[in-house]
Amino acid sequence: MEPLFLAWSYFRRRRFQLCADLCTQILEKSPCDQEPDPALPVSQAAWILKARALTEMVYVDEIDTDQDGIAEMMLDENAIAQVPRPGTSLKLPGTNQTGGPSPTVRPITQAGRPITGCLRSGTQSGRPGTLEQAIRMPRTAYTARPIASSSGRFVRLGTASMLTSPDGPFINLSRLNLTKYAQKPKLAKALFEYIFHHENDVKTALDLAALSTEHSQYKDWWWKVQLGKCYYRLRLYREAEKQFKSALKQQEMVDTFLYLAKVYISLDQPVTAINLFKQGLNKFPGEVTLLYGIARIYEKMNNMSSATEYYKETLKQDNTHVGAIAFIGIDHFYAEQPEVALRFFRRVLQMGVYNCPLFNNLGLCCFYAQQYDMTLTSFERALSLAEDEEEVAAVWYNLGHIAVGVGDMNLAHQCFRLALVSDNNFAEAYNNLAVLEMRRGHVEQAKALLQTASSLIPNLYEPHYNFATISDQIGDLQRSYTAAQKSAAAFPAHMDTKRLIEQLKQHFAVL
Amino acid sequence: MAATSSLQADGDKGKSSEASSKWLNAVSDPMTNIHTFPACMALADLHGDGEYELVVGDLGPDGRQPRLKVLKGTVLRESPLPALPAAAVTFLMESHEPQTPAVAIASGPCVYMYKNLKPYFKFSLPPLPVNPLEQDVWNQAKEDQIDPLTLKEMLEGIREKAEVPLSVQSLRFLQVELSEMEAFVNQHKSKSIRRQTVITTMTTLKKNLADEDAVSCLVLGTESKELLVLDPKAFTILAKMSLPSVPVFLEVSGQFEVEFRLAAACRNGSVYMLRRDSKRPKYCIELSAQPVGLVLVHKVLVVGSNQDSLHGFTHKGKKLWTVQMPAAILAMNLLEQHSRGLQAVMAGLANREVRIYQDKALLNIIHTPEAVTSLCFGRFGREDNTLIMTTQGGGLIMKILKRTAVFGEGGGEADPLLSQPVKLNVPRKTRIYVDQTLREREAGTAMHRTFQADLYLLRLRAARAYVQALESSLSPVSVTAQEPLKLHAVTQGPRPPRGRSRLLSPALPLPLSWPQSRARSPAASFHMGPQTSLQKWGPAPRSSPWDVSSQEPGGGLLRSLFTSVTAGSPRGSDCPGQGWGRPGTTQAQGGRGALRHPDLKVLRPPTSSQRLPEVCGLIHLGF
Repeated sequence: MEPLFLAWSYFRRRRFQLCADLCTQILEKSPCDQEPDPALPVSQAAWILKARALTEMVYVDEIDTDQDGIAEMMLDENAIAQVPRPGTSLKLPGTNQTGGPSPTVRPITQAGRPITGCLRSGTQSGRPGTLEQAIRMPRTAYTARPIASSSGRFVRLGTASMLTSPDGPFINLSRLNLTKYAQKPKLAKALFEYIFHHENDVKTALDLAALSTEHSQYKDWWWKVQLGKCYYRLRLYREAEKQFKSALKQQEMVDTFLYLAKVYISLDQPVTAINLFKQGLNKFPGEVTLLYGIARIYEKMNNMSSATEYYKETLKQDNTHVGAIAFIGIDHFYAEQPEVALRFFRRVLQMGVYNCPLFNNLGLCCFYAQQYDMTLTSFERALSLAEDEEEVAAVWYNLGHIAVGVGDMNLAHQCFRLALVSDNNFAEAYNNLAVLEMRRGHVEQAKALLQTASSLIPNLYEPHYNFATISDQIGDLQRSYTAAQKSAAAFPAHMDTKRLIEQLKQHFAVL
Repeated sequence: MAATSSLQADGDKGKSSEASSKWLNAVSDPMTNIHTFPACMALADLHGDGEYELVVGDLGPDGRQPRLKVLKGTVLRESPLPALPAAAVTFLMESHEPQTPAVAIASGPCVYMYKNLKPYFKFSLPPLPVNPLEQDVWNQAKEDQIDPLTLKEMLEGIREKAEVPLSVQSLRFLQVELSEMEAFVNQHKSKSIRRQTVITTMTTLKKNLADEDAVSCLVLGTESKELLVLDPKAFTILAKMSLPSVPVFLEVSGQFEVEFRLAAACRNGSVYMLRRDSKRPKYCIELSAQPVGLVLVHKVLVVGSNQDSLHGFTHKGKKLWTVQMPAAILAMNLLEQHSRGLQAVMAGLANREVRIYQDKALLNIIHTPEAVTSLCFGRFGREDNTLIMTTQGGGLIMKILKRTAVFGEGGGEADPLLSQPVKLNVPRKTRIYVDQTLREREAGTAMHRTFQADLYLLRLRAARAYVQALESSLSPVSVTAQEPLKLHAVTQGPRPPRGRSRLLSPALPLPLSWPQSRARSPAASFHMGPQTSLQKWGPAPRSSPWDVSSQEPGGGLLRSLFTSVTAGSPRGSDCPGQGWGRPGTTQAQGGRGALRHPDLKVLRPPTSSQRLPEVCGLIHLGF
């Protein structure tokens, strides 16, 4: 068979490694692989194909891979308003100005946001207040935060691709004559993607994109989008915005809307992003990614009612959208309708997902919907399916809740301890263990555990409140007051805390 | 008839507050010497000349000189009353022109009717049946068969036993001194004894038309626990209703010949509702305290209680709301602004305020120099919206509502005390839930068995895992109280890719069965691996970040940090491992030592307010 055709066939069957190998063989026949001869279209085609195959191997969808690094977190100067008005910013974790669910009803994550249904980058972290919080690893995140986003995942991708070619890089970037390639639009696009995704050399990619745009007399929207992507990677948000807007003017594409919205989110302008998505929806009615984008922004802003609305709309368009199903399921669970949540999680199970978190959720839903025969079986399966320590910890933690519900305090104690064995930083488990210790009358131990819990996640109000209650009971009013203040800061609307503070103030006034 | 009140020009002082206030000060005279209560105040156009006058049944400064006072403009006329007034109303007796309303003053057992301010008619309540035993005794006294002392003894016997109470004459006889008895008997023995009841409250009820100028009946409440409706012309009793207790406040709506509802607040702390055709109360509202006022606002019955609160009730006795007042309620009346269709309740409080409420909403607060004991609102002179108040010291205050003033809901301050419970947003029961309950009903036993079996398995599994964790010393918290120790490692900064350094994953294997000798040595250290070492600090609890840098193959800087490993040594105990540490606190040693063995009896049991966070880790679907 014609080797190039075979390579092309491999490419279409997504056998990229075979395709790349074959292309290498073809290119070895024509020595000038660095600079394909225009007279030899076969070698040129093979060169493009190889570049594309290598790109596809490491290709990551740019839209969702967004993890802010420590540098961006702490040295963020892009946000327009330093003290934003409520409801216009994503930077206010743990507070409920926009009518989010109460932490008494729906627990919060480490970053102080209500628990979401789906693990994705960005939702776990939130924005830390201090450097210490920023460098501490979130409990349920899989990797630590990178120092800066440019040094995070992308560097690893780049290095990984370097290792795969033992004879050195396919294209030596430093030797490229970018001006020449920019003259050939078809070649240039493949080359750009290779540079951007495979080599992860954003600066060179930017140069190429700039030259190509110039060559196309600023009429090619694709190049403008690529320019925008490069600027975004370099954190030049305003330039990126300009490029994306210009591209949108020429050609409205779903991708471009998503990229531009991402820029706005980075600039902490969620309302603008939502408006942009809505504008996109006018052009592409019912587009799932746009609907989902809106829902996610609302969710980040703690506006759960609007988020639910858009998640439901997403599900109407795409009834296999796992993120939307998970969110609505969780929402029903915390809205005291576990039987409905159970339906949603069963739907996920029917779609072929078979993992620990899902069975954990199924077990919880079964328990609270009073389908007791299924409960423990589900947890059993979740435990056996658990892939890492954090998942094991979470399952034991939830089993602890079941044990509390059943009334077996000994079992609950063991479960929470096992959660701590698997994950030493499980603040919620520390708190619950402290409550159990308190019931046994071990005041000092309870206090120590509560202190650990509150130092691990300062956003949780429960440890602070419990500590305040215990201190109040043993007569340590000063510490009780301090802890109650912290609890009030974490959850200003908590009635019990308010009452406790009032009581303490009266005490102090009397003394 | 001296003019005791004087019109005052708006005072210079407080002009700024005057401008923002809804009221114009018309009269403020502390020396009018009017002592009355809301039931004894009425406003009416007594002469048919369009000038409304104020009729007051005045109790007198010490309650001894009851007078009828009529204030027209600034001219006060008065005439003495035979007894203390219980209520004063004005009503129309006939429908033909010229319509001049009559004034009715209820006083003792009589109602005195005045027309054109001249005595017109006196209606007396029918006498009650006299106790025949008492009658006999007095008859004997009349015929001089018994001496006064025997009479007294017999009367006292009757008073204690008989169901029908004694007459006023007998009661007064029982009060007189020995020396005066003879004279009293001689003076009174010839009179026939009578037993009279007393009017406690009075109001008016339209006879057959709902118009403003329709003929009204009088409704009387008596001490004998009865309600009477009087015909306005013939003054015959049209209807008689009995109550379980003595009525003190009456409110009426409707017309006598069509349909009416009567609400009577009684001395036993209940409000009874009566309808036209009911001889007995139809509904009863049992208040938790004594009523101090009763006002009908639209269809809501507002009751003031002596627990400093206003309660709103429907006609059927359903409680709508409660508003707490800052002080005791002294007087209550209706504020009705016809031009805006506004009806509200005014309440004069002991803290020198008059508060105006529309339902629960506070519309306005008027501050007065003295506590207001009676107040009424209506047309006075030629001014439609006048508020007339009399104060505790006998003063008179009149205020005119500005014509531009609007009592908005938002204009008034929001009531800070939301005593009404907020309705909980409980989700509906879904159909799935109902289906599931059906399944539960059918297969309940099987489900329970499965669950119990699973629970046993779970306990076994948990116990196994627990023992395993103990054996491999994985738990970050020590189990025994003798070795209080807690360790946890925090990785800060970037972590190397997973799987490269299992050793530094949070689950640090820790030897928790700590040798005692080792724990005592202040700087015992042990090594966990090639690149890190853990350290146990000495007795003084402290926590300092402690860096271990290492060059991992793929990673950067590693920081391992112990946040709390402490070994506090409490007083009186030589075990250095005691005491649960708190990072960064050294000053609390004494306090902790003192609380070494807290007396558990003193402790309240952990209340339910200590909460487990509800399913904190409904963990994420990680896709």
